[in-house]
Amino acid sequence: MIWIGDVLVSQGEGGVYSERMLGTARVWDPFRSKLAALYHKGTGVEITAETRVLYLGAANGTTVSHVADYADVVYAVEFAPRPMQDLLEVARRRKNIVPIMADAIRPEQYAPLVEMVDLVYQDVAQPDQATIAIRNSAFLRVGGQIILMLKTRSVDVRKEPDVVFQETVDALTSAGFVVQESLWLAPYHQDHAAIVCTRSGV
Amino acid sequence: MRSYWFGDVEDGQCTPSGGDAQAKSDRIRSIRTSMESFVPLTWETAVACGACRDRAEYIAKLREICFAAADRDIRQQYSGKDAELLQMVRTLDEMDTVINLLTERAVEWYQLRHPTFTRKYRKTPAHIVVKNIREKSRGALSFVAGEIERLSATRTELAKAVSGRANDVMPNTSALIGGLVAARLMAHAGGLSDLSRMPASAIQVLGARTALFAHIRTKTPPPKHGIIFQHRRVHNAPRDCRGKVARVLAGKLAIAARIDHYRGVVDPVFLESAQARIDLTMNSTGTGTENITGKENES
Repeated sequence: MIWIGDVLVSQGEGGVYSERMLGTARVWDPFRSKLAALYHKGTGVEITAETRVLYLGAANGTTVSHVADYADVVYAVEFAPRPMQDLLEVARRRKNIVPIMADAIRPEQYAPLVEMVDLVYQDVAQPDQATIAIRNSAFLRVGGQIILMLKTRSVDVRKEPDVVFQETVDALTSAGFVVQESLWLAPYHQDHAAIVCTRSGV
Repeated sequence: MRSYWFGDVEDGQCTPSGGDAQAKSDRIRSIRTSMESFVPLTWETAVACGACRDRAEYIAKLREICFAAADRDIRQQYSGKDAELLQMVRTLDEMDTVINLLTERAVEWYQLRHPTFTRKYRKTPAHIVVKNIREKSRGALSFVAGEIERLSATRTELAKAVSGRANDVMPNTSALIGGLVAARLMAHAGGLSDLSRMPASAIQVLGARTALFAHIRTKTPPPKHGIIFQHRRVHNAPRDCRGKVARVLAGKLAIAARIDHYRGVVDPVFLESAQARIDLTMNSTGTGTENITGKENES
């Protein structure tokens, strides 16, 4: 990852969402992007020009645009039509984004489109986030990683965020993932946790 | 056989799929993949298949198909008759908010110029107050008041349009509860298909979110009604049987929404029986309340 001082940046065409520029570098704001917050607070996963990424919950393509600056190719999955319109515009300008309009809990819908990837990044507002991660690990190569951004309030508002967090970690572990890193994204994002895990060899 | 976007692969043999991007994206929709025996594709297979020459061309072609598919799906989702009604209802609700805020502000401003002006103990409706402000003021304040009046006129037109559109898009629900309230229910649910999948108990308290969560969290009494309170049969019902009326009405609305979504035409037989059932509840609870008054039982 590229740092200028203690500012995380990515190299690419600017003006996607009127982000701040440092010379030719695009500032990647941890308060706007949970992935940027993960790089600020923890280790995260190094994305290189060889990395193939499956991005679930691409939304308006804000974070996607930064990931695409680093990665080889980003398969960006989004379900809702409204943010999809924005995502398509971002994808038109960045030739390594493949926009897919589908529901992340039904990977069979986009299975004919996606190749084996090195990294699954998941940021969806759904109650069964562990299930989505496990189903989509079909696209993940052995040794590849999943970054799961857990929106605890989307799982169950009545449960304590800590409980939801622990349940998700347990679900991933029992599905054969090795959790490398798990942390809360406060103060950048409230009630959001990041879980980084590796798909172990079969 | 395994089917991918560029063709079908079987025993190392590949049959490329023909047609333009549109045809290819239509084909993807028809592919049924089982995730249990799923093998992710590789771009090398696509090259061997003759779909492209190298990785750059592979991504370019795949993108073309994905764009075509996304354009088609967005178009399809927006073409639903309820999509525009949804925006109309939300515009209506926001206009109400704006008109109320501006009216309050204009009155405060007017009070500075006329220190004796007050709305206490007067039953002047808001639109008359605004009219007076426009006529009795000069300059910017008068313009603002005039603008509020124009907004109110637009709002009235919009409300008529919403009601008319709702009668068309959701005829059965509208017949039971009126076009405007039917449209509001739909907007809160997020669309007609979402409303049709809701249980009656959810429709009953749609729009009473704060009260519902207060109930779940701290065991306050549950809300009896949300948006459907706006219907006269609920808010005209005696206080102690509103819940019952709301429940019966919500039950029939849930059925009506399903007929609207899946059939889309008026069902007179259903409407008649539903109306009769709701009327029965109103009448029986009407007489029922006289008998159940607690004092008589206690004494």
